[in-house]
Amino acid sequence: MTPIFRRFAVIFAALLLASCGDDVSPDPIEQIIVAKPGETASSDKDDRSSDDMSLADGTDLVAAGERAFAACTTCHSVEKGEASSIGPNLYGVVGGKAGSKEDFKYSEAMAASSLTWDAATLDSFLANPTAKVPGTTMLAGVVPSEERRAAIIAYLSAQTE
Amino acid sequence: MNDMSDTPNPADQVTQAPAEAKPERSRAAKWSRRGFIGAGVIAGGALVVGVGIRSGNPVSKLKPLVASGEGEALVNAWVKIGADNVITAIVPHCEMGQGANSTLAQMLADEMDADWERVAVMEAPADGNYVSQHAARMFVAPGTLPDKPNQVGFMEPTYDGLFQQIGKLADAYITGGSSSVRSTGQNGMRVAGAAAREMLIAAAADAWDVPASEITTANSTLTHEATDNSAPYAEFAEAAAKQDLPRAPVIKAADQFKLMGKPVPRKDIPLKVDGSAVFGIDGGSDLPGLRYAAVKAAPVVGATVASMDASAAKEMPGVLQILNMGDFVAVVADSYWQANQALAAIETTYSKSENDTANTETMFASFTQALDDAGTSGGTEKASYGDAAGAIEDAAKTVTAEYKVPYLAHAAMEPINCTAWVRDGKCDIWTSTQVPLMARKGAAEGAGVSADDVTMHSVFLGGGFGRRLTPEYSNQAARIAKATSYPVKMIWSREEDTAQDFYRPADISRFSGGLDEAGKCVSWNNVHCSDDEPGEAPLVEFYDIPNVLVRGAEVHNPLRLGAWRSVAHSQHGFFIESFVDELAHEAARDPVEFRRELLAKSPRYLAVLEGAAKMSNWGSDLPEGHGRGIAIARSFNSIVAEVAEVDMTGNSPRIVKVHCCADAGFVMNPDGFTAQMESGIIYGLTAAMYDEITIKDGRVEQSNFHDYRMMRMDDAPEIAVQIINGAPNDLGGAGEPGLPPAAPALTNAIFAASGKRIRELPVVKHFA
Repeated sequence: MTPIFRRFAVIFAALLLASCGDDVSPDPIEQIIVAKPGETASSDKDDRSSDDMSLADGTDLVAAGERAFAACTTCHSVEKGEASSIGPNLYGVVGGKAGSKEDFKYSEAMAASSLTWDAATLDSFLANPTAKVPGTTMLAGVVPSEERRAAIIAYLSAQTE
Repeated sequence: MNDMSDTPNPADQVTQAPAEAKPERSRAAKWSRRGFIGAGVIAGGALVVGVGIRSGNPVSKLKPLVASGEGEALVNAWVKIGADNVITAIVPHCEMGQGANSTLAQMLADEMDADWERVAVMEAPADGNYVSQHAARMFVAPGTLPDKPNQVGFMEPTYDGLFQQIGKLADAYITGGSSSVRSTGQNGMRVAGAAAREMLIAAAADAWDVPASEITTANSTLTHEATDNSAPYAEFAEAAAKQDLPRAPVIKAADQFKLMGKPVPRKDIPLKVDGSAVFGIDGGSDLPGLRYAAVKAAPVVGATVASMDASAAKEMPGVLQILNMGDFVAVVADSYWQANQALAAIETTYSKSENDTANTETMFASFTQALDDAGTSGGTEKASYGDAAGAIEDAAKTVTAEYKVPYLAHAAMEPINCTAWVRDGKCDIWTSTQVPLMARKGAAEGAGVSADDVTMHSVFLGGGFGRRLTPEYSNQAARIAKATSYPVKMIWSREEDTAQDFYRPADISRFSGGLDEAGKCVSWNNVHCSDDEPGEAPLVEFYDIPNVLVRGAEVHNPLRLGAWRSVAHSQHGFFIESFVDELAHEAARDPVEFRRELLAKSPRYLAVLEGAAKMSNWGSDLPEGHGRGIAIARSFNSIVAEVAEVDMTGNSPRIVKVHCCADAGFVMNPDGFTAQMESGIIYGLTAAMYDEITIKDGRVEQSNFHDYRMMRMDDAPEIAVQIINGAPNDLGGAGEPGLPPAAPALTNAIFAASGKRIRELPVVKHFA
């Protein structure tokens, strides 16, 4: 009756294989350090966003905006005719009135804001949505980078008839 | 310690102290020698009572680990009494949902005459002094255990110390084998509770100057009626700690139990209801600077990473580091999502492995070949009595059958994960594991520090099922964290969890059986492929079959194998009880009647069989297209019979009901035991109905719950459980024994309803 020893043996064998490995060293064979914590896109946005969008070498602002907008697609669609979801569909938003998509239930604050989404208004809204429209339900989506905002607005401006 | 997280420690986790004695959020109770400095678990002070309580009193060594707070004292290493009279059971097992830790506390509290409302549970630290030596001893040398609880031989201190030493050497802090209640509980917690009570009485007798025999105990209070003296345990805790440890504390007889055998509520219910329970994947989440790692190991066993192209991945947002660790690739990023996205963008090639060409068909073909080679008498003999070959020659009727079961994954809801922080020659680990000391060893090797410099933080497990007996992931996380030097939470994707498991072995089992003129089984010859663990799994000595030969054939497995809930009983329960059912059919006998005859010399088994048959109203009419199947199995010293009722009127079988009757000797907590039977049945039926792990080109083909599915609420049967306490001093397990009869009860029911005999699992394959 030695099953527990056998079980231990199985476990030890597995542990030895997995940990020491016959020819696997515990240290990396190849280590690519891209950044240190705190130096990446999420915390050092200017640096990263200019890299990301390659604005310095004059790449298409709309294309850069499309990439930047990827983060917004969790809530917002820009496809013509697609239903609003967590946030309103943003097709044709630039130049339109705030709170005007019929299939989206806006916050009272947004519905009553009587804003027109020109580039300047969008820019200040994206910089700090809850400051621009206190009471908005858009609690996520602050875009601190001015360049990134400009790119997103350029992209949204292109999403129209 | 200032930079440590506020992650709740095990005392917080499993303490359900009364409202007026709410435990502080202490950071003290962590699993290392150093981590324990300042262990003020209960506000206001306490006393602690030991590990190997009969092998010398290790209190002085253990006190700094578990009771170094102001006013805390240790009597022996399993019991702690706080100044507020809260009694804490220190339990050397992990909590993975099975509820055993609360039951262990219940056993201790009963022996101690403690007030259950003021009892808390603390998971023991990952320290060599807290090995599960009773579990080890029960498995290795059950003959050395006292026959009856109060018959302690003179060798007892030696045995106990010996097994503690063995346990230490093997890093055997283990939660598995359905063992905690029947080993640690029966031989550890109960004795410790009784010892603590006797030491408290001795201390009070000294102080009150009265005979110890006149002092009574109840509700954590000592009373001497004649002198009108009464005091809470806490008052004599310090004095009790100075008493000699009783060599053979007297434990209760069953008719004296106040808590044991009662369905008292689990201590971890509030934490799991209000969400404050901290599971492995939650551990260390508020560490400053914590980042996340996604990993992908070489997909074929034996292969390593040959090359890694991370050019796309390193441009992706949030990525901090990309590591080729040889056996796996890791991406560390600001968020887990980012890490996992970048991981998917890495192009990897792998070295060649002997398993590169493995696939399910050739693997099973090699199993078949091994069985062919073993023939009717070859292979490793596992049981042989009578003359199976001769008896089958003389049999009136011969029955043969072959059964086949696939590899299975564990698919715990909490995927494999581990949070590690390696710095300044030290390592902190938060992970769900059934073997914390082995996980600590693996982490130490990965981090390049000594095991004593690894602090294991106690957390709840989001499911174990045997997967977490293999803690290779603590090594993986420690290696990543060593490379980064900041804390990293490594989480396996569900795909990685499914593809990199230690699988339940696939198996093929062949039987030939002989029936005499009266339709009784007189010969049983079985050969199968799995390396059985436990070894008793393929044996049928409880059936009155005079001529038996059981053999095993050796095979090569292209996957890593591990313990899966009920281990080899999961295959053999299906094999044996399917074949018994086929024998009954060939003998033109009712399946219950046929087994009843075979169990005539095994009264406990017979009672369980009759119990299940009676519960299910066996033999009564069923709706058109419905059928009942019965199966009985013994595993981990518990006997369980189940009757499944299945509805075959739809496109695939629907399991309507399962009636379960179980004899585990004596059930300490019927509510917890019933939950474990239900859980084992659902886990067993899930696998039996739906699941298989298949291999193509050496790789596991399944990846997630869409192709390795779980039984859902609407598929789940109604389950009824009945308990028989058939042997109060011979306890059986609970976590696993509900599983083995589930699959054959189902397939036998399908046969009864439809005449379709399922000889290969999973069931759904036959109804595609």
